[in-house]
Amino acid sequence: MKIVKLFPLIVLSLCIIGLLAVYSTDPLRGSGIDLKSFFWRQLFWCLSSWMVFYLVSRIDYHWFIKLEWILFLLIIVSLSAVLFFGSGDETGARRWLFSRSVQPSEFSKVGFAIFLAALLSASPEEHGSWWLLFKISVLSVLPMVLIFVEPDLGTALVIIVLWFSGLFFCGFGWKKILTVLALFGGLMPISWLVLKDYQKQRLLSFFSPQSDPLGRGYNVLQSQIAIGAGGFLGKGWLSGTQSQLRFLPAHYTDFIFASWCEQLGFIGGILILILFFWLIWTIFRVSIEASDLEGKIMATLFGSMFTFQVMVNIGMNMGVMPITGIPLPFISYGGSSLFINMVTMGIIWNIAKSGGKE
Amino acid sequence: MWNEKPKLILDHRIEIFSWILVGIFIFLLLNLWSISVLQFNLYHEKSELNRIRVIPLQAPRGMITDRYGHILAQDIPSFAVILLPGSEDPEKSRKKLEVILNRKIEKPLRERYSGEIILASPISIEEVTRVEEAKKELPGVMIEAFPRRIYPPGEIVSHVIGYVGKINAEELKRYSQNQYNNEDMVGKSGIELYYEDIIRGEKGYRKIEVDAPGRIVQMLDTSPPRFRHSLTLTLDLELQQYCSELLAGKSGTIIIGNPKNGEILAMVNQPAFEPNLLVEGISREEWGKLLDNPLRPLTTRSLQALYPPGSIFKLIISLAALNQNLVEKGRTFFCPGYFDYNGQHYPCWKKSGHGRLDFEEAIAQSCNVTFYTIGLELGQDRIIDMAKRFGFGETFDIDLPGENHGFLPTSSWKRQKIGEPWYPGDTINLSIGQGYLLVTPLEIYQMIATISTNGITYRPHLLKQVNDEKGKIITQNLPKIENEVKLKPDVWQTVIRGMRKVVTEGTGKACRDLPVAVAGKTGTAQNPHGKDHSWFAGFFPYDDPQYAFMVLVENGGDGSGEAAHRGRDLVQWIFDNRENTRNEDS
Repeated sequence: MKIVKLFPLIVLSLCIIGLLAVYSTDPLRGSGIDLKSFFWRQLFWCLSSWMVFYLVSRIDYHWFIKLEWILFLLIIVSLSAVLFFGSGDETGARRWLFSRSVQPSEFSKVGFAIFLAALLSASPEEHGSWWLLFKISVLSVLPMVLIFVEPDLGTALVIIVLWFSGLFFCGFGWKKILTVLALFGGLMPISWLVLKDYQKQRLLSFFSPQSDPLGRGYNVLQSQIAIGAGGFLGKGWLSGTQSQLRFLPAHYTDFIFASWCEQLGFIGGILILILFFWLIWTIFRVSIEASDLEGKIMATLFGSMFTFQVMVNIGMNMGVMPITGIPLPFISYGGSSLFINMVTMGIIWNIAKSGGKE
Repeated sequence: MWNEKPKLILDHRIEIFSWILVGIFIFLLLNLWSISVLQFNLYHEKSELNRIRVIPLQAPRGMITDRYGHILAQDIPSFAVILLPGSEDPEKSRKKLEVILNRKIEKPLRERYSGEIILASPISIEEVTRVEEAKKELPGVMIEAFPRRIYPPGEIVSHVIGYVGKINAEELKRYSQNQYNNEDMVGKSGIELYYEDIIRGEKGYRKIEVDAPGRIVQMLDTSPPRFRHSLTLTLDLELQQYCSELLAGKSGTIIIGNPKNGEILAMVNQPAFEPNLLVEGISREEWGKLLDNPLRPLTTRSLQALYPPGSIFKLIISLAALNQNLVEKGRTFFCPGYFDYNGQHYPCWKKSGHGRLDFEEAIAQSCNVTFYTIGLELGQDRIIDMAKRFGFGETFDIDLPGENHGFLPTSSWKRQKIGEPWYPGDTINLSIGQGYLLVTPLEIYQMIATISTNGITYRPHLLKQVNDEKGKIITQNLPKIENEVKLKPDVWQTVIRGMRKVVTEGTGKACRDLPVAVAGKTGTAQNPHGKDHSWFAGFFPYDDPQYAFMVLVENGGDGSGEAAHRGRDLVQWIFDNRENTRNEDS
């Protein structure tokens, strides 16, 4: 119980590290309070997200479970809207609604996790059955495809991970899981045809970042250089040349971990790793201690979602995972992502508190 | 409870997953350790390479002066307008600059190290102030001083000093161990090329920090380029100038030097080229014109061109004959104006004939018939042998690039190349320096110098000393005896007396009335393409030689004319302007 009680503190620590990291990479940081500056925007999002965290943590999580089909409908409608009315970003992908203020794919991750939890907890007797396997597979593929064609490879992968976690944690046998995996693997070559060129390149660059340092592998290489040049203790707060001189791309979003490590070294990196491990460990503790199946499944799905995002983002920063555009939760700059992560934390905290009461 | 089982399964799966989770984090941790601790040095170096650019600064070359300190080549500060990378569109900046300078800039924009663009180069000092004043309108523009090579005497030293030019690919490879790069200037010919290693300066550099788009963030470190050595040559600029005037409008060459130590005081080649133009870099078209010019201004005639020596070669015949005791004291020759041998008719240059003369008179009059006679008595082998002892057919290792050597014909060469045996007629031709024989003007100069010292050949050289940056002498180019021709003492005396008589009563009478006693020899090189080339070479003062000289005027007719008259003027000038001859005389 003690570990679980420290939960908001871990989240707070990560949020503070996030603010520090964004501050250190903010090109406008010297110019006082400026709403154009990344740091002040992030601070604003951080404060409002904590209010949301407080509010959500006071809502009984069963209320979210009851939303199940409404949530699913919302996901499908907003994702379809993006495809038709969305605005694109510099890579040509359409991910935004209302002129780049809302990213539905971010919300759909959490919404889908809740929907899946509701679906799985509603029929515990069917756990492990072919019928349920078929049902959740069909219902997962729909949002996944919609996100995939935006394209937002990272979020699409998160949906896959949620689907797979649902199977894994709800007692589906190894044979069934392997069958699904094999089926999925069989479909991979087809998906290669659907992938956009830049996505193919991102995947290819993962395999040999050295081959073309100014082209596909540039980002990965610069990120590795940033981490490596930081050494054990780092170059010092605010003094990394890789990020300050902008050799490191997206140094305040996707590659913020590398930028942090350049400044604070191996020690700084370890701090983030430990905090995330602790956070995820706690989420699974919450699941174990939750009083009912709904809470258990929901916490578990959230736990695997965070595991995946942290692993892929940090792995990508170190060049051992492909570049998928998944931000580092709480730390990467970005309002939608922080907001939705805090909603998730609020729900988990509510589950934790209800579990404690019983 | 019906829903207890799924809960237990879930808890069990979480237990399994916990191990996976631990595995994932250990994997990430090991990777982090590997990159930031184990491979720190590698990545640190890469990050430094990312941000630090080293811009080399051109090294100044050493100054070249003549023996009296007159400047032959030096670097002067020149200015260029540079546009730093990433600051503005080069075309736009160039247009603004043209407005400020109020002139059109012809040269195309050129990029040098790491994206820097040269907007204009060179610009005058007055223009530098104008650009400085207008600096606010020109973001990212910097004025940089760089050394520019100039040759104050211009054309008159062009062949000796040479010129510098932008390094080319082949030179980059050749000098690769010396860290040259493609903006550097290197010696292309003459002293500039021969002493490149000594004369080049030490490069400086500017270390700058740049960001990812290549913009300058800050200047980290500057090390100014350093000048290393300057050269003092044995050359006498005023004499060089005078010799150059002597040959003005002609094709030809003059070499004058000190026979007692090998120092070259003047070496003039005409026509010449303007080295200052070549430093700036001329168009391909203009370069082509220089190369194709039938007068060949780029050729260093004194070292590279080959001519028949004509009668000047009679000195070698004389030395060989005297050394073989072929001309005993009192032997006389009779010249009827021609020489018949095996039914062939060989004329003397004086159709009426010289009548009866002794050997010294034969040298003085350059009597062909006498030399036909003793040439045949000597035979081809002994003639060639004597020529070889004087260094004909081989280079003297003068400190200039591109030295050529003459050609001594042999019977085996003739059999191979022409397919005919060596006829006595060939020997007859050889005896008066015609036929297949070819020499460089430097070989003739060296022959005269060697005769004047009774057989001691010094290595001809132009470098007197090397000075360091403070002007202190660090190396002195001491006289080096290259060869010694050992002949009986009276052999030298007889030939030298003959050479004196050339001037007092023979073909070199042009020099008779000079205030200093000259010994010399004329030569007329038959030229199948036009008028004969005119040779005159000698030394003075006759009894204690201080100077040896050689004059060649292409198409100057016979040696007693154009060349001898120039020889006279040359000696007169030295007598009037240089002290050592007057002292000797008085």
